[in-house]
Amino acid sequence: MTLTGRFVALLALGALPIVLLGSTPGTAATVLGLWVLALLGLGILDLILAGSPRKMILSRSLPSRVRLGESVTSDLYLTNTGARRLTTVVRDAWQPSAGAGNNRTPLVLPPGERRLVSLTLTPLRRGERRVDQVTVRSFGPLGLWARQATLQAPGQIRVLPPFNARKHLPSRITRLKELDGRTSLLVRGQGTEFDSLREYVRGDDVRSIDWRATARHGDTMVRTWRPERDRRVVILIDSGRTSAARIDDEPRLDTAFEASLLLAALASKAGDHVDFVAYDRRVRGRVQGAQGAELLSRMVDAMALIEPELIETDWSAVAGQVRTVTSHRALVVLITSIDAAGASSALLSVLPQLTRRHTVIVASVTDPTTLEATRTRGNREEIYRAASAERALLDVARVSAAIRRQGADVVTGSPADLPPALADRYIALKAAGRL
Amino acid sequence: MNFLRTAAASPPAEDAVSSTPTLREAGRRARYWLIAGIGALLVAVVGTVLAAGGGTGGKPLEADSAAPAGARALVEVLRRQGVDVTTADTLAEARRLAGAAADPTVFFFDESGYLTDDQLSAMSALASRTVVASPDFLILQTLTPSVGFGGVSPATVSRAACTVEAAVKADKLSPGGPTLTIPADDAELTGCFPSGENAFALVGRVTADRTLTLIADGTLFSNERIGQAGHAALALNLLGADDELIWYLPTIADVPGTGSPSLGELTPGWVTPTLILLVLVALAAAVWRGRRFGPLVVENLPVTVRASETMEGRARLYARSNARLRALDALRVGAVQRLAGQVGLSRLASLDDVIAMVAAVTDRSPADVRAVLVDAVPTKDSELVGLSDRIQELERATARATTPLPPGRMDS
Repeated sequence: MTLTGRFVALLALGALPIVLLGSTPGTAATVLGLWVLALLGLGILDLILAGSPRKMILSRSLPSRVRLGESVTSDLYLTNTGARRLTTVVRDAWQPSAGAGNNRTPLVLPPGERRLVSLTLTPLRRGERRVDQVTVRSFGPLGLWARQATLQAPGQIRVLPPFNARKHLPSRITRLKELDGRTSLLVRGQGTEFDSLREYVRGDDVRSIDWRATARHGDTMVRTWRPERDRRVVILIDSGRTSAARIDDEPRLDTAFEASLLLAALASKAGDHVDFVAYDRRVRGRVQGAQGAELLSRMVDAMALIEPELIETDWSAVAGQVRTVTSHRALVVLITSIDAAGASSALLSVLPQLTRRHTVIVASVTDPTTLEATRTRGNREEIYRAASAERALLDVARVSAAIRRQGADVVTGSPADLPPALADRYIALKAAGRL
Repeated sequence: MNFLRTAAASPPAEDAVSSTPTLREAGRRARYWLIAGIGALLVAVVGTVLAAGGGTGGKPLEADSAAPAGARALVEVLRRQGVDVTTADTLAEARRLAGAAADPTVFFFDESGYLTDDQLSAMSALASRTVVASPDFLILQTLTPSVGFGGVSPATVSRAACTVEAAVKADKLSPGGPTLTIPADDAELTGCFPSGENAFALVGRVTADRTLTLIADGTLFSNERIGQAGHAALALNLLGADDELIWYLPTIADVPGTGSPSLGELTPGWVTPTLILLVLVALAAAVWRGRRFGPLVVENLPVTVRASETMEGRARLYARSNARLRALDALRVGAVQRLAGQVGLSRLASLDDVIAMVAAVTDRSPADVRAVLVDAVPTKDSELVGLSDRIQELERATARATTPLPPGRMDS
């Protein structure tokens, strides 16, 4: 139950008769009592005449998924099953991060009829956004008092990572094509594998003539080569406590998702198998054995629900995780943070196990404000800040050097630069045939 | 991206489940507290009533007060004896009652001294018999100027020893209590219950048409003490001589109003009800604006940790402990590594090589470069700032010297 502004205004209006009629305290008190009693009576009457907000059938129509940054409409159908006309305000109680804006809708529901309440949702965060209840406030015919009930109407929508880095995809695919055997190569080299034999045409490199096939066939045959395919790429994202830190107002984890989505899109275009694992002390998400469009959709689906865990990542188990994904030689991309020698010692200790079998890239987001701070040296505080930033950069450089000594590769970049940088490193490795 | 919508084709046929309790459910849930609250209220009310009944409430010698200091016992006995006891709160009321009665007795007790001397004179003229309990100084001055205070009675036995009829009938009073003194040669005054020199517990003055009796200790007539010694006999004989008794205890209403009218008298009658209405309006507005539109929605929000926090923290630590050399070392190591890259040496090149190379490239003396990059020790913050500037300047100069000029520009 609640009351309206109209009731409050009417109650305040009682001051007029009290002042006009109440010359003595006695009559004034009587007028006050009568006024309050009359209004209470009206209010109770209004409440009795108001339709029941419980006599309601609710159903929802929701899209199951949305990319972060895009908008969807959430439709809620309300059917009045009572005998009275309902004059209501409906609150569809979405979580704040669902970005529903003003979720209160005035609605008139004649008995037995159905009405639609549409809200535009622009989610603010990745993950599962929920709605559990709908609150209906039903006003009486006089608009003085209202009945209110909260009804169960669960719904949910999965907000996927935005994959803003896909703008880098076309240029990288072009470079991949230059590398790739859409036009077969005649040059044998690292990063290529045998494709087929065909007849010699003028202009072909004589060095690629396969003499044995020529002898068998009677015509001059040349061998063609193409870049190696069907390599394995294992992307392992560290979802431990360091991934919660925000750089440029984006958690490290989200940058890692962007980078891994771009890499996965590129690698699956190049014909490689991509497997994805998010791990801290246990597996938070895993995508294995998917190809093409299905790979990306399964990856964003898995990523949507992963949040940074405030625990230390168990690096000693990472080698085992990679082994469960593939037993073949693979490109292992570890997306984590390399900050200080102390914090990275666990990572450094596990790297030899990985580099023995696989090609390893350690990717890390760096903070552009650190680089900026080293150059800003206006006053005493800023110099200390610059010194601290230099120290942080030196730490990163030292850890990077240690990682390289273990035989792995390091890719760092600001949140905007890391995804394309990682993609470029992949293309470079592919071109060099080190996959 | 187009995703499938969950179908609303087959809506549920039943009403949605409500999580708001109905009035009956809410009542059932709150039943314990309702009952407990009402019970507590009952206990409080009953306790208050009981305490008031047996307590010390009411004014002393009030006619209908059953408290120990009240006088209900005496008044009830008088009424049963056929005396018509009427109570008066103001002089005007007492005057009206006296006018209506044939020949009344007035009992007067003014504990708080409300009446002025004029009013006291008027009071004493109301009836032919007046009994004054516990007279104060003003009463004595006005009514019987020759009577004074005699202090507390030291006597252990208090007997009538006079000719006043009521006193003789009473014979004894409980000893102690205040007394009044009268001059020895005043024929109009009679003292009873003496204690020492001219000190009496009761003084009577008989003039031509009036009898005034002063009782030094009014508590003799209280419920608590009326049963002791001859108190009851004294009181009944003094007060029950006639059929009518006016029991007059002055109140604040007897005090004449003085000065300008108070704020309360000037306030129009509608002000207080309007204020009450405003309070009600405020309450209603609080409900109107404050009533929550359904329960709060719960959501787990991620932690917000800026990655640069550790860097800022370390900077503050440096600044607080004035770690100038340590800070400068960090700047120098960073600068040396960048310089090594600029002059074409590896990151692992020795410091001496870098210094020599940089000095050669920038055309400075190696000692100078060495001072900037290694030797100078800052002792003040200003020196730290200066050295930092010199490091930056050296880096800029090296960058200028090692960057090839753009082709075709002869003027620079």
